[in-house]
Amino acid sequence: MDVITYQHGIYPRSEEVVAATRGLERGRTTREEVDRAFAADRADFIRTQREAGLDYFSDGLLTWQDIFRPFVEVCEGLDAHALVRWFDNNSFFRAPEITGELSLSASVPGEMEDDGDLPGPKMATIPSPYLLSRAAQSDEDRNTLMRDLTREILRPVSQELVARGYRLLHMQEPWLVYFGMESEDWDDFEKAVGELREATEGATLVLHTYFGDAGPWADRLRRLPVDAVGIDFVETDPEELGTGWSGGLLAGVLDGRRSVVEPVEPVVGFARRIAEMAGPSRLIVSSNAELELLPRDIARRKVAVLGEAAARLKEELA
Amino acid sequence: MTSPRPTPSDLTSTPLLTHEVGSLDKLGWRVKAVAGKDLEERDVDEARAWGGRAGVDGFEELIDLLRRAPLRSKEDKDQVKRWSSRYGLRMEESAGLDVVYDGEQQRTEMYQWAVAHSNGFEWRGSVRAFDNKYYSKAAVVGPISLKEPYHDEEFAFLKSVARAELKVPITGAYTIADWSFDERSNGGQDLTKPHATRTAARKDARHEFVLDVARNMIRPNVEALIALGAKWIQIDEPGGSTEPDELDLFAQSFNESVDGLDAVFSTHLCFSDYDLFFPGIEAMTACRQFAVGFANYDSRDLGISDAARPGYQVIRKFRDLSYRPSLGLGVLDIHTDFIEPPELVRDRILYAVDVFGDPGRIQITPDCGLRTRSWDVAHRKLVNMVEGTRLAKARLGLS
Repeated sequence: MDVITYQHGIYPRSEEVVAATRGLERGRTTREEVDRAFAADRADFIRTQREAGLDYFSDGLLTWQDIFRPFVEVCEGLDAHALVRWFDNNSFFRAPEITGELSLSASVPGEMEDDGDLPGPKMATIPSPYLLSRAAQSDEDRNTLMRDLTREILRPVSQELVARGYRLLHMQEPWLVYFGMESEDWDDFEKAVGELREATEGATLVLHTYFGDAGPWADRLRRLPVDAVGIDFVETDPEELGTGWSGGLLAGVLDGRRSVVEPVEPVVGFARRIAEMAGPSRLIVSSNAELELLPRDIARRKVAVLGEAAARLKEELA
Repeated sequence: MTSPRPTPSDLTSTPLLTHEVGSLDKLGWRVKAVAGKDLEERDVDEARAWGGRAGVDGFEELIDLLRRAPLRSKEDKDQVKRWSSRYGLRMEESAGLDVVYDGEQQRTEMYQWAVAHSNGFEWRGSVRAFDNKYYSKAAVVGPISLKEPYHDEEFAFLKSVARAELKVPITGAYTIADWSFDERSNGGQDLTKPHATRTAARKDARHEFVLDVARNMIRPNVEALIALGAKWIQIDEPGGSTEPDELDLFAQSFNESVDGLDAVFSTHLCFSDYDLFFPGIEAMTACRQFAVGFANYDSRDLGISDAARPGYQVIRKFRDLSYRPSLGLGVLDIHTDFIEPPELVRDRILYAVDVFGDPGRIQITPDCGLRTRSWDVAHRKLVNMVEGTRLAKARLGLS
């Protein structure tokens, strides 16, 4: 079985960046000092991934204010004001607000523009079409909005990322398993994902569900046109997935919301059991959710565990 | 002959009483002086300007103290904190609020302050709340108890200098637990256990943690405040609706914190989907008022129709609570420098009074603490809130 590992999503900022960004807002730090602090964090995260032996490199989305903001800022017709709770966390995002006709002002968000220092193979995290359309504020029909957002933003950005050499695109999709999805929405969702599949030919496309139980949706999820589906195994019982998972499976086995760092051995055993039960063609070992909700030093230790566990699994499941 | 001071229950049922909700920004002189840093002339100028604008008696004494910066002694720094409390109090009084506090000028932050004065926690580092806003997050690692009642000194001081009525804000049990990691019980993370066992272990641990905070941290603190003469205590629960399936636990923690104690208790909720609180908070019978932020979700258009007031549609659910608490109606958006005109405040109030059919169940507040705004913006917003309330009273014949 093919086993790989990477760390997706927003990675936490160091205490130095916390102090610098806070200082900037209070007029006690310069922009240059903030940029230096971010650069140090970026270098640190790249080093952490390399030392852990991860298979794909992420920039950690360190400067992103939330998963939507860079897309809001690169797209005319979108704005972001109202603070909304990020699922059941003490964390908030500014809801994208549809204010006019959608039109990209650049091929990728500014935050993704300067990636020359990121080693390959590179991976990027983007919001899933369903998440983006449901988190947005609009009076428009949600499925129409999902199609519009996919066509005008997610598709061209994804295409450009692949053209720039990104080998894996990771779509965050907590909304589906946290709030659910009506049966009549599935077709539109599949079409939106299909559109991204077309746009990312040659790259690995992953749809990651988290913050909820994927069990009730497993049958539909496994039929989506993606290379792997991510499951949050803090919330989902592996028994619910069933057997014969013919596609890839991202096993979210490290808990991105709890501070206790998991020992390697139980993580390996748990992931092995999932692989044996579900039988995916490819096993991606990762955290159940992004690590942003942890202090940086704890997150760094979890990434190290991830690398160690994946190395063991590669040997055992080869 | 002066009229008798209102009783605690009068306070939460006085029609359209205006009050503050939480923290104010800490001015540069307060931050730098307490940190033992040098002050710039503009910091001293700001202390002088606000001393005059808010009507702080004897503020020249503070100016003399600041001139000695950098301050080294704890006594000097404590003096600066007390001055900052006076400034916060007078700032709110000068805006015309009926019930005030000091903008939590002596505290570090609502969560950090509480945890720092309690046993059983260890700090783990900063976690982002949104944008460039972060909080220091701790983990509970042992039995919880108070190191000392952590608002006593502050309250005793404020009681000695306040001209208006005081309401003491205190962080609630559910929020403190929700904003902490739990490292006491690892059963929920034990991957060798079946999924159902892990889920049950997490739920049990959560229940135990929240109620432990309520019984051994919040309640003794509240008892100490009452012993000092506090009449109205607001239990702040910004984390209250974080986990919709735990609202029974949230309500239980509130009741366990205050049941049978001799004061009026209210709570503050903000930036949530308020629908989620129902029916859970039907059990919070000890709560006499819900102070809730609505303006963040509302239109800036004038009008008292449903269409003009989209942010306030949910207030019907608060109206229908069987124990008939009053509503602290958030009318100021604390996330923007937009200064709500008095007419907009007025219309938000008139809409709420119309929905409730009883002005005695509506009181007027900002959405949340104004800490994210400059004092100038905060003061102008509060002044307009008071003026808008006056306009609403006039319209309702309550002047």
